[in-house]
Amino acid sequence: MSTQINSQIGIARPEGGDATQCLSFQLGSEVFAVGILNVREIIEYGQLTAVPMMPASVRGVINLRGAVVPVVDLRRRFGGESTQVERRTCIVIVEVVREAEVQVVGVLVDAVNEVLDIPDSRIEPPPSFGTRLRTDFIRGMAKMDQGFILILNLDRVLALEELEALSVGGGTEMPVVGESAPRDADAVPA
Amino acid sequence: MAKTILIVDDSASLRQVVSIALKGAGYDTVEACDGQDGLNKLKAHKAHLIISDVNMPVMDGLTFVAELKKLSEHRFTPVIMLTTEAGEAMKQRGQAVGAKAWVVKPFQPAQMLLAVAKLVQP
Amino acid sequence: MNVDEVLQTFVAEARELLLGMEDSLLALEQDPADGEAIAATFRAIHTIKGSAGLFSLDELVAFAHVAETLLDRVRSGQVAVNGELIALLLECGDQLGLMVGQAAGETLAEDTAAAHAARRADLVAALQSHCGDTGATVATTAPATDEPSRLAAEEEVERAHNQAWHISLRFGPDVMKLGMDPSAFLRYLGTLGTITHITPLWDRLPPADEMDPECCYLGFELDFLSDASREAIDSTFDFVRDDCRIAILPPRAALGDYLRLMAEAPEGTDRLGEILVASGALTAAEVERALDRQRRAAPPRLGEILTQEAGVPPVLVQAALDKQAKVRDSKPAASRFVRVDADKLEELINQVGELVIAGASAGLLAQRNGNGALIEAVALVERQVEVIRDRALSLRMVEIGESFNRFPRVVRDVSRELGKDIELVITGAETELDKTVVEKIGDPLMHLVRNAMDHGIEPTEARLAAGKPARGRLGLNAYHESGSIVIEVADDGGGLKRDKILAKARERGLVAPGQVLDDREVFALIFEPGFSTADQVTNLSGRGVGMDVVKRNIAALRGSIDIDSREGAGTTMRIRLPLTLAIIDGFLIQVGGSPFVVPLDLVQECVELPACDQRAQPSHYLDLRGEALPCLNLGHLLDLESSGGRQNVVVVKYGNRRAGLVVDRLLGEFQTVIKPLGQMFRHLRGIAGSTILGSGEVALILDVPPLVQQAADQEARRLGRLG
Repeated sequence: MSTQINSQIGIARPEGGDATQCLSFQLGSEVFAVGILNVREIIEYGQLTAVPMMPASVRGVINLRGAVVPVVDLRRRFGGESTQVERRTCIVIVEVVREAEVQVVGVLVDAVNEVLDIPDSRIEPPPSFGTRLRTDFIRGMAKMDQGFILILNLDRVLALEELEALSVGGGTEMPVVGESAPRDADAVPA
Repeated sequence: MAKTILIVDDSASLRQVVSIALKGAGYDTVEACDGQDGLNKLKAHKAHLIISDVNMPVMDGLTFVAELKKLSEHRFTPVIMLTTEAGEAMKQRGQAVGAKAWVVKPFQPAQMLLAVAKLVQP
Repeated sequence: MNVDEVLQTFVAEARELLLGMEDSLLALEQDPADGEAIAATFRAIHTIKGSAGLFSLDELVAFAHVAETLLDRVRSGQVAVNGELIALLLECGDQLGLMVGQAAGETLAEDTAAAHAARRADLVAALQSHCGDTGATVATTAPATDEPSRLAAEEEVERAHNQAWHISLRFGPDVMKLGMDPSAFLRYLGTLGTITHITPLWDRLPPADEMDPECCYLGFELDFLSDASREAIDSTFDFVRDDCRIAILPPRAALGDYLRLMAEAPEGTDRLGEILVASGALTAAEVERALDRQRRAAPPRLGEILTQEAGVPPVLVQAALDKQAKVRDSKPAASRFVRVDADKLEELINQVGELVIAGASAGLLAQRNGNGALIEAVALVERQVEVIRDRALSLRMVEIGESFNRFPRVVRDVSRELGKDIELVITGAETELDKTVVEKIGDPLMHLVRNAMDHGIEPTEARLAAGKPARGRLGLNAYHESGSIVIEVADDGGGLKRDKILAKARERGLVAPGQVLDDREVFALIFEPGFSTADQVTNLSGRGVGMDVVKRNIAALRGSIDIDSREGAGTTMRIRLPLTLAIIDGFLIQVGGSPFVVPLDLVQECVELPACDQRAQPSHYLDLRGEALPCLNLGHLLDLESSGGRQNVVVVKYGNRRAGLVVDRLLGEFQTVIKPLGQMFRHLRGIAGSTILGSGEVALILDVPPLVQQAADQEARRLGRLG
C-alpha cells in the first residue's frame, strides 16, 4: 500500500519503508532484481554496435530514439560468458546517477520476469560469500516464494571507472595519451 | 490597447530592465540598440513614447531625435532622453533638437515609470 | 524574463564592454591622440554605469562615475593621455570586472575582497587626482529657494480657505510639437490625487485663419486634492516646465500668492479672479481682499510666482551637433547583431541534427522503395537540409579573435612583470570556429602564451648577446586547414633544448635507454605529467604542472598539439582542433561488419588494396604512385574480424602526415551528426564519437590521428622487442 502511495507522489524509497518495488529478471537460471525507480523502460534486443577497445562487459551502443546509449552485458560483468542473444533477450534501460549527472545505460539480460513488491522484512543482507558475485554489487537478498532473489546495487554494478575504456589496442598497450593505466575492468568471480 | 514605448539604448540589460518595468505597468515595448535601429523600428511599429539614450554607437540620441522630428508621423511623439551627463550643456543641445524630457542615469525602474506616466498613461 | 535573467545580460554585456575598453586603452597607448579610442572608452564606462544603476549596484556606479568623470575630461582635452593614465584606467577596468563578477554572484575570500576594496579607494583617489579634483564634487544646481516660506516670513500672512492645491497651467505653443500632450499631465495628476475642479482656458486661441493647428493655446486652472508632496506634484511638470507657465499654490496658500497669480495671468487679473471664484478656489470676499491689498502695496515683481521658472534661453549648438554626428562608431555592423541564448542555439543545432538523421532515414527508405520521383523528392529535401545544417552551424561560428582579444593585455602586463620587451603579433583573428570550442580553448592558450613569454623568450641581455633584436616577438596565428582550425603560438626565443629534455626523460624513465626519438617525439615529452625543464620556478609557469593539462584539455576537444622548435631560433606550438563539435561531413566505411565514419576533410582518396597486399598485416606500406604510404589495418587495430572480399585503402592526411586505412568496404559520404558517447567512453582514444545512420544503426566516428599514432607506437614497440 505504502509503496503505491510512494510511487504516486514520486518519492524514491529504494530502501527502508515497508516494501520495495523491484523489476526482476533472469540471468541464466538465477533471478535478480533492481529497484523499479532505476528502470526507465525495457526494450527488445535490437541493432547494437560494438565499440572496440572497451572491456568485454560493455557490449556496445544502441540508438535509443536518437540518443546513443551504452549496453552492459550483465552476465559478463558478473564474470560469466557473453550473453547469447535469444528470443527473450532484453535490454533494460536504467538510470544511474553519477556526479550529479544522470547516466542512461542499457543492461542486457536473458529475460525480464515481473514487477515485484518485496517487503522489507524479507530482505536480508547478502551472505559474505557464496553468491558468486562481488558483495558490493548486492544490495540485499530477498527470500520469496519462488526462491532467492538478489537485489542489485546498480550504482556499483555500473560503476563507470570499472567499465571505462581501455586504451587503443585492447588493454595490452600503453595509453595513447598520458591517461590512467589500463586495468582489468571485469569483475573477478568471488 | 496598451500604449507602445520604444526603448533605444545600446545596453541590452538596460533595455530589458526598462522593458520589464514598463510591461509590468501595462505598456507594450519595442527595443532598439541605437538611433538608426530606432528609426528602423519606427517603420514597423507605432510608438506612443520613445525613451532614448544619448551616447550610443552608430547614431547617437540627439541625432536620432533630430531625425525623428523630420518624420511626419512621429514628430509629435514624446521622447525621454537618458543621460549620465546631467550637465546643462547637454540638455541645451537636446532642447535644440526638441528633446525636453530628461532622465539622468543611473535611475531606478520606478523612477522611469514615473517619468513615463507623466507623458503617456498605459 | 525576470530581473535576475537580465542581470545575466548585464554581466555579459559589461564584460564585453570592459574587453572593448581594454582594446581601446591599448590602442590609446600606441596613439594617445586616438579620439575614437577615447570616445569608445568613455562610452564603455558610461554604459556600464548607466545599466548598473538599474540593478542598484551602487558601489559599481559610484566607482564608474569617478572614472567617467575623468574620461569626460580626457575627452574634452582637459586631461592629457599618458602611460600613467592608461595604466590607471586599465586597473579600473579590472576592478570593474571584479565588481561585475560579484554582481554575477562570484564571491571572493574575505581578505581578498577587503584588499580589493582598499585598492578601489586608492584608485578613486588616483582618478580624482588625475581629474585635478581633491575629491569635492561640483555641487549640482541648487534647488530653488523656498519662496513661500520667505514670503511668509516677510509679511503677515492671510491665507485662503481653499483646502485643495491650486494649479495654474498655461501650456506653451510648442508643447505638442515637442511631443507633450497636455491631457497626459492632467491624467498623471489624477494618479496623485483628485482634481476637484478644472477650468479650461482658450483665451489665447486666435481666429481660425490665424490659428496654427500644431500649436497649443490651452491653459487650465485646476483645484487638486492630494496628500502628495509639493515635490511630487511639482515634478509632474518637469518635462514642460521650460515651455509653460506653471504656478502651484498649496492648500491654504497665502492670499498674496493668489494675488500674484491673478496679477500675472495673461487673461488679466479680473478674469482670473472670476475663474477662481467660479471654481470655488477663492471666495469673492477673498478675491476682494486680495485686490484690495494689491491696491495698497507695490505691484509684485514678475517672476516671483512660486515655482514658476524662467525658461532657459535656447542656445544654438548646431556646430556641436554636427561634430557629434561625425564622431560615429566605427562598427556600424554591431547594430545588426542579435544576442541569442546559447542554449537556444544548441537546441536548434540538436534539432537540425535530428532532421539530418531523419532525412538520411527517409533517403534510405526511398532508395529501397525504388520510386524515382520519390527518390528525387527526398534527395531535394536532403540537399535543403544540408544547407540548413550549414547555416545552423555557422550561427555558432565565431571568430577566434574573441579568444585572442585578451592577449594584448596579458602580454603587456606579463612582459612588464618579467622585465622583458615583447611584441605581440596577432594574425588570422578572423578565422572562425565553433563557439563551444572557442570557449574551451582560452585556458590552454593562456598557458601556452605565458609559457612562451616566461621560458621561450630570453631576457633582453641574452637576446642581444645572441645577436637578436632586444624586443622579443610572440605570434598568435590561426588558419583553417583540412577541416580543422590550426592555432599557433610562436616565439622567437631560445627554442627547446632537445638534449636537456631527452636527458630528463631518460632520468625519469620516460624513454628507454638506447631508444631513438625524432625531434617531434622528444618535444612531445614536455606534455608528460610532471615534466618541466625550467631551471627556475617563477610565479607564471614552470612548476611542471600545466603542459600535460594543456594537452589533456585539447585532447578533450578532439584536438591535438605538436611542437616545432629550433634551438636558438624559437618555438611554435601548433594546436589543431575540429571546427565544430556538432555535425561534420563524414565518409562511411565498413570494417568487420561494423560501420565507421572518417571525417571527410581528412580523406584524400580511396584506392583498392592490391591483391598482393591482402594479408593480415597489422601495418605495412603501400606504393601509392611512387610514394611509400604507411597503411594500418583497421580490422586488426580495432580487433574486428574482416568480412572478407577485396579490401580498400582510404588515404587520409592530417597536418603533414599521410596514412592509409585498410577497410573492408567503402560506403560513401555521409552527413554525420556527432552524438557524444557518454561518460563511460570518456577515456576511449581513437573513437571521436558516434552517429546514427539512416537505418537507425549507430556508427562510430574514428579519430584518425591517435589511431595512426597508436599503430606507429605499436610497431615501434614490436620492433623494439624484436631488436
